[in-house]
Amino acid sequence: MTPPEPAPTPPPGFVLHKKRLRFLGLTVEDCIKAFFGGNAIMSIVVLALITYFLFREGAGFFGQNRQNLEVYRQAGLEYVDYLRQQTDDHTALTRYLSDVRLRALNHYAEERKLSFEDASTALAPFDEFAGKFGDAVEPLRGLVSELSDVATAIKTKFIVNEDKKEERRQLLAENKAAEAAQVAITPVDFATELKPLLGTLPAYKDANREFAAQLTTLVSRVPALPTPDLQQRMARWQQLARDYLATFPTVERNLEQWDYRQPVPAWKSFSSFVFGRQWLTASFWQDWYGILPLFVGSLLVSLVALTLAVPLGVGAAIYVNQIASTREQKIIKPCIEFISAFPSVVLGFFGIAVLGQALRLLSQQEWLAWIPGFPYSERLNILTAGCLLALIAVPTIFTLAEDALNNVPTALKEASFALGASRLQTTLKIIVPASLSGIISAVLLGLGRVIGETMVVLLCAGNRIAIPDFGRGLAVITEPVHTMTGIIAQEMGEVVRGSIHYRALFVVGLVLFILSLLINYLAQGIVRRYRISIG
Amino acid sequence: MNPPQHPFSVRPGAVHHREQPVFWLFRVATYFILACGAAVFLNIVVKGAGTVFKTEAPFINTTFLTEAPESLYIFEWEGKKMEMGDREFRAFKEQNPAAAKVKAESFVYSAGGIWPCIVGTVLLVVGSMTIALALGVCAAIYLNEYARDGAFIRFVRLAILNLAGVPSIVFGLFGFGMFVIFFGWNVSLLAGWFTLAFMVLPVVITASEESLKAVPKGFREGSLALGATKWQTIRKNVLPYALPGILTSSILGIARVAGETAPIMFTAAYVVRDKLPWEVEQLGDFFFQGVMALPYHIYVVSSKIPQNEYTERVQYGTAFVFLVIVALIATVSILLRNRLRNRYRW
Amino acid sequence: MESPSTASPTDRDKAANSSVRMGTASLPAGTDPSAPRSPASRTLIDIEHLDFFYGQTQALNDISLKIQDHKVTAFIGPSGCGKSTLLRCFNRMNDLIDGTRVPRGTIKIHGVDIYQPDVDVIELRKRVGMVFQKSNPFPKSIYENITYGLRLHGKTEKSKLDEIVEKSLRGAALWDEVKDRLHANGLGLSGGQQQRLCIARAIAVEPEVILMDEPCSALDPVATAKIEELIQELRSRFSIVIVTHNMQQAARVSDRTAFFYLGRLIEYADTRDIFTNPANPQTEAYVSGRFG
Ligand SMILES: Nc1ncnc2c1ncn2[C@@H]1O[C@H](COP(=O)(O)OP(=O)(O)O)[C@@H](O)[C@H]1O
Ligand SMILES: [Mg+2]
Repeated sequence: MTPPEPAPTPPPGFVLHKKRLRFLGLTVEDCIKAFFGGNAIMSIVVLALITYFLFREGAGFFGQNRQNLEVYRQAGLEYVDYLRQQTDDHTALTRYLSDVRLRALNHYAEERKLSFEDASTALAPFDEFAGKFGDAVEPLRGLVSELSDVATAIKTKFIVNEDKKEERRQLLAENKAAEAAQVAITPVDFATELKPLLGTLPAYKDANREFAAQLTTLVSRVPALPTPDLQQRMARWQQLARDYLATFPTVERNLEQWDYRQPVPAWKSFSSFVFGRQWLTASFWQDWYGILPLFVGSLLVSLVALTLAVPLGVGAAIYVNQIASTREQKIIKPCIEFISAFPSVVLGFFGIAVLGQALRLLSQQEWLAWIPGFPYSERLNILTAGCLLALIAVPTIFTLAEDALNNVPTALKEASFALGASRLQTTLKIIVPASLSGIISAVLLGLGRVIGETMVVLLCAGNRIAIPDFGRGLAVITEPVHTMTGIIAQEMGEVVRGSIHYRALFVVGLVLFILSLLINYLAQGIVRRYRISIG
Repeated sequence: MNPPQHPFSVRPGAVHHREQPVFWLFRVATYFILACGAAVFLNIVVKGAGTVFKTEAPFINTTFLTEAPESLYIFEWEGKKMEMGDREFRAFKEQNPAAAKVKAESFVYSAGGIWPCIVGTVLLVVGSMTIALALGVCAAIYLNEYARDGAFIRFVRLAILNLAGVPSIVFGLFGFGMFVIFFGWNVSLLAGWFTLAFMVLPVVITASEESLKAVPKGFREGSLALGATKWQTIRKNVLPYALPGILTSSILGIARVAGETAPIMFTAAYVVRDKLPWEVEQLGDFFFQGVMALPYHIYVVSSKIPQNEYTERVQYGTAFVFLVIVALIATVSILLRNRLRNRYRW
Repeated sequence: MESPSTASPTDRDKAANSSVRMGTASLPAGTDPSAPRSPASRTLIDIEHLDFFYGQTQALNDISLKIQDHKVTAFIGPSGCGKSTLLRCFNRMNDLIDGTRVPRGTIKIHGVDIYQPDVDVIELRKRVGMVFQKSNPFPKSIYENITYGLRLHGKTEKSKLDEIVEKSLRGAALWDEVKDRLHANGLGLSGGQQQRLCIARAIAVEPEVILMDEPCSALDPVATAKIEELIQELRSRFSIVIVTHNMQQAARVSDRTAFFYLGRLIEYADTRDIFTNPANPQTEAYVSGRFG
């Protein structure tokens, strides 16, 4: 055993302890770290705030919408709408007839070279038929308009009362009890108010029977038309008219069973938003807040944009990454980056000023008539907006896809070359598959970019709030639509704060927000899941 | 006469000949994109130049660049067709009493210029970028220098990624709900600044982190080994070298801020405002006033007013000025970044 | 705990205990820590039963070793055996890496346990300078590179700084080469000069120990020779711990050599003994170039 070493005594200057300034037990360094940490949390905070404020402003919507639907029922608007549906369907049939007449007239004028008078004479039996068909609905229509007035009056009464209640509440809140007491509120007794409305049911039944009888006879005696095509159309019309007639018992049953006291379930408020096919605001009759037309509009525009942008963006990425010379790369990359800096409002303006018109002219070229939907007359439509959005999506897709291609380990490429594969074979069989997850996530992020884009669709999508007619197949892309982003931008400035419309817009914003998170999540998930783990 | 045959000679129809058409397909796609971009750019530049430049000295339409938008009046006067801006027209009527009853067609915003819009856009950009840079650089410093990998940091990064994907109109709604209504700032510069700043925050954070990462580890280790504290190290030996990179990459954020319309629509932009932003009574009012902005003005003149040949002039002029400003910013950023990449090789 | 002297009774106990254990177990023959050859060779760094982990992987396993004052100590061993890890423990640079732990063992410098929570890492790093494998001059002027550490610690007086710069550069044998361009960028120097600049920067703050992690591995033979010469000059003023791959270098510059293998200390002895008469067959295999 060796004797223990003498205790080491540090030299005088050797002190490893130092008193540092502390606040609340934290050194200055800790404070600085906490400060930076606070800034880093900012992004979480912002995300939370966005969620909070969208909910805060939008949450009241479903309650208000339920009330909106309740009034719709209690004031009898729903009842009248059953009837109105019947007259509206009739109008659709009438429109079909006029379309047939127009075609027949064209036929007479162009193929048979008849003068206008002669053509009219030839069409006289048809006109008589159409006239009879049109007139048959008049009694019903009269009833509808009469009842509409009744229902509107009830609704107005109710709303006035609600306003008064609100006024009183405010007065009470301001401690003006005396004035509050003076605000007269006469609760609306829906049962009595609705009596005149419901009392018309027997009359309606009579009118309806008459109407049905008339139509049945009419439908069986359609006038003859000059061409097989038109004949076929008429046959189709006959079928439609029979279908229409078949709905009558349902309408009657609906009217009989209708009960204003039936409560509107809470989910109805939600489903009428999510699946509602109408977005109708500031209407004298009834406001509808259905997101479907907007959602479909956004989706269609984005799909058109992606259909154009994905091949272009990914193709360009492959070209730049695999085929182009270094010098080309050095020019192309900044140029595409430059395109990404184009402000969307300028692109939208370009769409209005140039592209819309140019595409319409193009569509009217004879040799392009085979393209579905060509020629078309609406300058601003899905196609115009989609083309511009494609230009917005291309840089995003290009940049991200190029990154993905870049991340493929060189070893893979070299291995493929070493086996005697050509450049194209290597690119298509090795590099693209290896980076596929990155490319897919690039496409997804491109989708996120175009679905959230506002100005281009606001300016160029045509802003018609309706679900486009999918019956036209691919030609649907030549119809105007409105979008979720567009509607917010367009209507937000004009709505009353706190109104149901205002809240509805916030809910649309919420849907967009959730959609963007979802897309992001998917994109990240794909990248994480399928990341290649070589090198 | 056959070329000498050996196993490696090029065979007819060899793979790379068959590849050429496919390569051309990719090439065409690429140049098609560039052509589209160029078409948009040139259309606006060529048509807009007509508004912004003049054929005679000083060659620049100073009215357009230095005055506020006005209504344009067009009328017949002594057999001549006259075009006058609002103020000019009133002065004219005062001089010629006979003109008081003249029937003039008026076109809103089609005369005057866009000076208040330029000013507003610049103010919006400067303010929001200042906020975004302050927040973003600090956040990036934390993420890159202090943070240790963990659930919390992953959550922060996730939040940043997601924030980057949020549509700008949603930022607009959020800014409206929070700043305009909840804070009661009304439509104001301040509300616009914060809305835009939050919108570009992810861009700035990512750019800053990248630049911080580019500073070699040796600088930090060397400094720490000399007994510097972490903050001393960051302040003296990391930030100075990262800053140029941070600033240049953030310029792309500027282009984004300047180019966005949706977030300022309900938070900061006015359709028209007579006073310039500095014409306020108190300093405090400066922050709580709305401004005109170029992107919003383009939106207004291209969709909110009836279209005709006179409005087209303003539309293209505004679009031209706006595009050139944004394009300049973007070009500078792209060029600077490439320069920077080449310069700093540690 | 303000002054380490209050801690010394316990430290002494530990030292006593450990030396007993050490004699029996971990240190191979040929090492006799209790018999310093000259009075100057006091123990400077005293490592006892040190374990070190990077997350789950153990990089150092039960290291016990005494590094003597004013000597050059070389760490040798195959790559990945933990030399750098141990070296970076001496100034706690490992703290910067996520998930590193020292679950067992102590490192005492002048008897002060540097892994105690009350130790100020900043003060520690002022006393324990470091030169890295890859020279890392800051992209500042030569002058600023050297004054960087001094300014941090509050020395700003110009004349004093000038004096220290000259002294340090002379100390690092660089003065003659750069005296005319003190304000040129440090990155403009050649590799060997850069490394000497880093040494000058380290000695400017007057540490007790200089740690060198393979300082010559990126240099050409001429520059290496210069650095080795420099180390010979510095040994009179500083204690030096140098990690090296190069056994000739260890043999040339060091007084004592420690051989590590797979995170363990295999042998620690006078350099001459290690290279001429290794006690451990693994050491012998390594120094004779049969593996590593
Ligand atoms: N930052 C780190 N994280 C995880 N393990 C590390 C890290 N640094 C080194 N190691 C591991 O610790 C062991 C020792 O490394 P090191 O001390 O650098 O070896 P040497 O310097 O002797 O070559 C090695 O097995 C290495 O893989
Ligand atoms: Mg090492």
